[in-house]
Formats: sequence, structure tokens, C-alpha cells
Amino acid sequence: MPVWLREHSWRQTLTAVYLSLPLRGARATPANIFCSEQYLKVSIPPFLFEAILYAPIDDTSSTAKIGNGNIFFTLYKKEPAMWDSLTLADAGKEKLQYLRENAVVKAQEKAKEETEAKKITKQEHKKYALEATMKLEEAERKRIKDLKEKERQKVAKELEFWKNQQKDADKYKSVQKKEELHQEIKPLKERTNEKMNKSRIPNEGTSKIRLKSTRGCHGSCSIFSQNLKEEQLPAPRAAATIKVNFTPRVFPTALRESRVAEEEEWLHKQAEARRRINSDLSGLEDLKEEEKNPDWLKDKGNKMFAMGNYLGAVNVYNLAVRLNNKLPLLYLNRAACHLKLRNLHKAIEDSSKALELLTPPVPDNENARVKAHVRRGTAFCQLELYTEGLQDYEAALKIDPKNKNIEKDAEKIRHLIQETMQSS
Amino acid sequence: SAAAGPERPQVVSHVQQALNYTLFDCKWVPRSARLLCLGSAARGTGVVQLYELHGARLELLREIEKPKPIKCGTFGATSLQQRYLATGDFDGNLNIWNLEAPEIPVYSVKGHKEIINSIDGVGGLGIGEGAPEIVTGSRDGTVKVWDPRQNDTPVANMEPVQGESKRDCWTVAFGNAYNQEERVVCAGYDNGDIKLFDLKTMSLRWETNIKNGVCSVEFDRKDINMNKLVATSLEGKFHVFDMRTQHPTKGFASVSEKAQKSTIWQVRHLPQNRDIFMTSGGSGSLHLWKYEYPAQRSKKDSEGSEMGVAGSVSLLQNVTLSTQPISSLDWSPDKKGLCVCGAFDQTVRVLIVTKLNKI
Repeated sequence: MPVWLREHSWRQTLTAVYLSLPLRGARATPANIFCSEQYLKVSIPPFLFEAILYAPIDDTSSTAKIGNGNIFFTLYKKEPAMWDSLTLADAGKEKLQYLRENAVVKAQEKAKEETEAKKITKQEHKKYALEATMKLEEAERKRIKDLKEKERQKVAKELEFWKNQQKDADKYKSVQKKEELHQEIKPLKERTNEKMNKSRIPNEGTSKIRLKSTRGCHGSCSIFSQNLKEEQLPAPRAAATIKVNFTPRVFPTALRESRVAEEEEWLHKQAEARRRINSDLSGLEDLKEEEKNPDWLKDKGNKMFAMGNYLGAVNVYNLAVRLNNKLPLLYLNRAACHLKLRNLHKAIEDSSKALELLTPPVPDNENARVKAHVRRGTAFCQLELYTEGLQDYEAALKIDPKNKNIEKDAEKIRHLIQETMQSS
Repeated sequence: SAAAGPERPQVVSHVQQALNYTLFDCKWVPRSARLLCLGSAARGTGVVQLYELHGARLELLREIEKPKPIKCGTFGATSLQQRYLATGDFDGNLNIWNLEAPEIPVYSVKGHKEIINSIDGVGGLGIGEGAPEIVTGSRDGTVKVWDPRQNDTPVANMEPVQGESKRDCWTVAFGNAYNQEERVVCAGYDNGDIKLFDLKTMSLRWETNIKNGVCSVEFDRKDINMNKLVATSLEGKFHVFDMRTQHPTKGFASVSEKAQKSTIWQVRHLPQNRDIFMTSGGSGSLHLWKYEYPAQRSKKDSEGSEMGVAGSVSLLQNVTLSTQPISSLDWSPDKKGLCVCGAFDQTVRVLIVTKLNKI
């Protein structure tokens, strides 16, 4: 049950009503006040004040002042007239109810209208702001464009002026030269006759003078100035060749900075893959790190072979093979060593193993395959198995038909075979 | 696009001309407002077009067709009176043409087995001293120097060692031609090698590798004691070398700049100011740079040898003109700021760079 606030006091003028409502200690905010044309309510739970006004008021311009534990209403009458009392005395319950609801509905409508109006004004403001910014930007763009255009025109004018200057200068020069020409013609004629016999270009120059119509006199006087310059020019350089080396590179493609990281990674992986394929062999623990790298061992072996230490090279290759028995080059090089050491059967074995590993036969491993065939062929021939040897030499020739040495050797073997056939 | 500051040089596009062939090189004809466009027509023949600048348009004066597409050209080795054009074509032929009578070349030689990628001339145009010479760099890995007075054989041949796999030479430039004897040729290759050949001693004077294919090299001036060399490469980088001080092991000092993500096709120094140069890019943009020298151009290292100190490069302006690479660029030697550029969108553009006097 609300507590009714009844101790209000009021006074009126022709146009306004002044109502003072003490609040009995309660705190009021604008939200607690509800006012429509003919209905006024103040609800501060649990307190309640309600009044059906005698006559309609203009609720938009009416005000309420909250302060000092009091609400002071200034209500402006719609029609200036003196009221008999603040409220309608004969307000029945239904009328009250109806008025209340009406008031609420009206208030809601008003609120709606207000929000709509607000929205519309807001939109209009936004539109205006947008248009204003667009105008500003447009002005800025135009300004820059105008600047550019002005610059361009200025520059174009300068260019035209310069062009005309050039033309005038050319004309002036040609006139000058013509005069000089007439003066100098006689003594120079003798000199030029001599020079024409010596160098080539002045001859060509004379034939082309007739064609140079646009250049005015330049053509005819150029012959003289050219002759003079000819004297001052050094002779053509003595021809020479400079040999060029390019930065060494593992990959056939050209170096690109962005790919360097990828390439390094790939190379690293390749190197890792070749190391220690059979690294769980016993007796390897006391080897140094680099001695476990088949590539390093191959290089060592190659060096030894080059120095003539064939037994040492074979040992090194043996170790490398133990570590990684899938590298064809190790077998190939070991075969060469065995050839030198005249271990012919071993040479054949190794060359065969190398050829096995050099499948598939692609242009990349051409060199290696040729070598393998040649070495095996040599070994066969030294064992006097000439037919087998010839087979290998012919295989080598097939891969590399341009190799004269292989051809010669193949011929020799054929002769030997014929001889042995004849003699047997 | 224009920078807001009114004092910065502006690149103004003066004239554009659409062409119906692929443009590979464009050059100003010295002492004139005429320019040449060199390229390849759709039917596989070479095209030389001579234009004259008339107000806001280019007027075609002459069109010459040749059997092979033309890749590059230069006026560098011809006299001012003759103004003969030297061209390199796709077949490896070096020809020198008199444009007044272009049916038969004044000089012709099949200099290379493959396309001549780049050509440069020195000793002509009243600049510098010494014999006029032309250098060509080709895809066959060789760089050859020719004297127009000597037929058929080059006066210098820089070729790969026997058995060495060749690398394409993409660019060549003359330099250090400050008297009758001295001359160097700088060559850039597709694997990033830059080599400096001394023609007086016929030897390799310096080499380095900038880790990316070298698209263009140019000395700031051909006819002075070599001062600076700019080398541009793929992947948006260029290097400026200070060529005044050569250290016995470290070579020349350099500063490098990464301007854009795409290839930098060309570098050209302003003829009237050797510290300003323009680079053209694969993204259709042009960048105008200025080099600033350091306080001291050389210093002593820990062993007492002289080594150079590189300065710094600052960007003056940049502008995007096309969506296709701008592959050729040439400043007019007669009018400061006037330049022509050719792009792979088959358009030749005449540009004017303003306010270069204020730099």
C-alpha cells in the first residue's frame, strides 16, 4: 500500500499553477515524476502523490524543481482561466483509471516521437558533416591537381622555349660554319685529299653528306673536323682476351638471395644423409669426427691417389665404403686404385658395383659411367679377356661418342681380337 | 604521387605514347628534342622509331624495320655530327646505323652467339678522350669491346675460362675514361657477379657478388676518374659503390638500399648532377635518389691500408606510372630533368622532373 502524500499546497495565476509538494524526507529524481496533460503523479516508493488536474496544462513547458525535501511544480495552463481547485473533485474511479492509462499511453507516444525526431536530426547532422568533409577533400584534391597542372604547363613552356633555342643555335652554328668553310676551303682541300687515302671513315662520310639535308651544313663541314679529330684519336686497341671465372656454385641455377636459406638447408640435409649410413659398425669409436664422413674420406683418398699412394688410397676408400656403401664414386675411385695396383679382378668388381649404383643412367652421371666402363674394359683387356673389354669400351663410346681416346683404344682392342682369332 | 612538400622534386608526366610493339630501349638523340624507341614487333622483327617532341605530343618522324628484334642501343661512341646509333639485337649482332640512311649499317658484326642484353658506348659525343669504343654484354656469357674502325674482331674479349659453365651477362658499362689510355668496363651477370675489367692493363681489376642477378650497372660519369658505381639487382635491392678507394682484399665500400619488392630494372644518373639518380622498378615505379658523401671518404684499416667509406642514399621522390615493369630509362643530356622511360605495357612516357636545381 503506497503512502499518499497529501500535504501539498498550491496557488495559481491566470496562466500558471504553482504546486509545492513536501516529500517527507524521501529523495526525488526526475524519473519519479510523471506528468501528462491532465495527470500528475509523483511516485517515490513507498510514497505516492497523484492528481487529476482541473484543466489541461502544457506539459512540455511545465517544470518541476526538486530541492529542500520538496518538489516545486510550475504548471502552465493550456487555457488561461482560474481553477476552482487543483484537482477534479468528481473524479470517479473509472475516470481516474482511464485518465491514468491515457496519460501513460500519451506519454509513451510522446517519448516515441521524441526519439524519432532525435534520430532524424542526428542523421541530418551526420549527412551534413559528411558532405562538409567531402567538400573539403574535394577542394584539397583540386588544389593539388591545379598545382600539378600549373607545374606541367610551366615545364612544357620551358621545354618549347628550350627547343626553339636549340633550333636557333643550330641555325646560327650552321651559318657560322658556312662562313668559316668558305675561308678555309682551299688550304684544307689539299690536306683532305691526302687523308682520304689513309683512313676509311672520311670516304664513307663524303658519300653520306648529300643525304644529310636536315642538318644543314653539318654534313659538309664534318668531313674536315672529323679529319682533324682522326689525327688526335689513338689507334684501335691491341686485341686481347681476359679469362673470366664465375663464383662457384653447387646448384645450376643462379644465386638468389631469398633462396639462400632454403639452399643451405637442403645441402645440410644432403650432407647429413650421406654420413654414417652404417654408423653402428664396431671399431669406429676411435675415429675422429671428420674421418667418419665418407665425403671427407673420398677427398683424402683422391689426394692419396694423386700422390701415387695407391695402397693408402684403397684403405681410405675401404673405410669410406664401410660407412656408406651406397656412394658409387667410392667404388669408382677404388677401381682406379686397383687398376694401378694391378688387382684386376678387384678393379672389375668395383667398376661393376659402381655401375650398379649409377642407375638410372642419366646425363648427370654420364662422366662417372664412362669412367667405370673404361676402367672395367681396361681390366678385362689386361686379363686378356678382349671381347668383354671391347664390350665395355663400346658402351663407353655409346655414352660419350666424341671421346677420341676411347675410340683409339677400342680400335686397338679390335685389332688385337682379330689377331688372336687369326692366330688361333 | 606528389609529396605534400612543395620543395621536393615532382615527376610530371608530360607525354604518353602507346606503341604497337614491345619496347626494350628508349634513348634521346643528343642535341635535339628527338627520341628513339627500339623494340620487337609482334611478327618477330626489329623496330626503330624516331619521335620528336611537339608540345604535348610525340610526332613520329621515322619508322625503320630490321630483320631481328632489337634489345638495346647507344649513342655513346658516335660524334656529335654523325650521331650514329649502335644497336644490339636478339641474334647477337652489333650494328651501327646512320639514321638518315638506315638501309645498310655503317658497321656490322655478329659479335655474339646469343642475344646482346646490354650495350654502352664511350669516347663519343664530345665527352671525354680516347678512341670511341662500344661494349656489348650477351647471354653467351661474354663481354666484348669493339672499335668501329676495326671490323670483325673485338678489341677486348672477356670470356669464361674453358670448361667453366657460362653465366648470362645482363649489363655492361664503361667508366674511368678520363684520359686517352684509361678505361674500365663493368659487367653484371645473372648470378650476382660484378666484374670490373681494366682495359689499359687488360686484366680483371675487381670482382664481387651481390647475391642476386645484376640488372643494371652504371658509373655516375664515364669520363672522370671513377667515382661511384650503382648496381641494381633482383628482389628490389641496389648497391652504391664508392670507387675512389680500392682496398686490397675488401675491394670497394658500398651502401645498399632495398627500395621495393620487385626487380630494379634500370639505374640512370642525371647527366647534370652525378649524385642524383633514378631507378625504375618491376612494379612500374620510378624512384629518385640522392647520394650523400660521408664526412671522410676513406680511412685506414687496422693494417694501415686505405679503405673507402660509403655514404648514404636518400629518397627524393617516387611515383608509380604503370602496372608493368619500366625496363628502360634515359635522361636528356641537354635539358635538365627531361627523361623518357619505356615500360612493358607498350607505352613510352616522357617525364619532367622539376625542382632539381634546388637540390
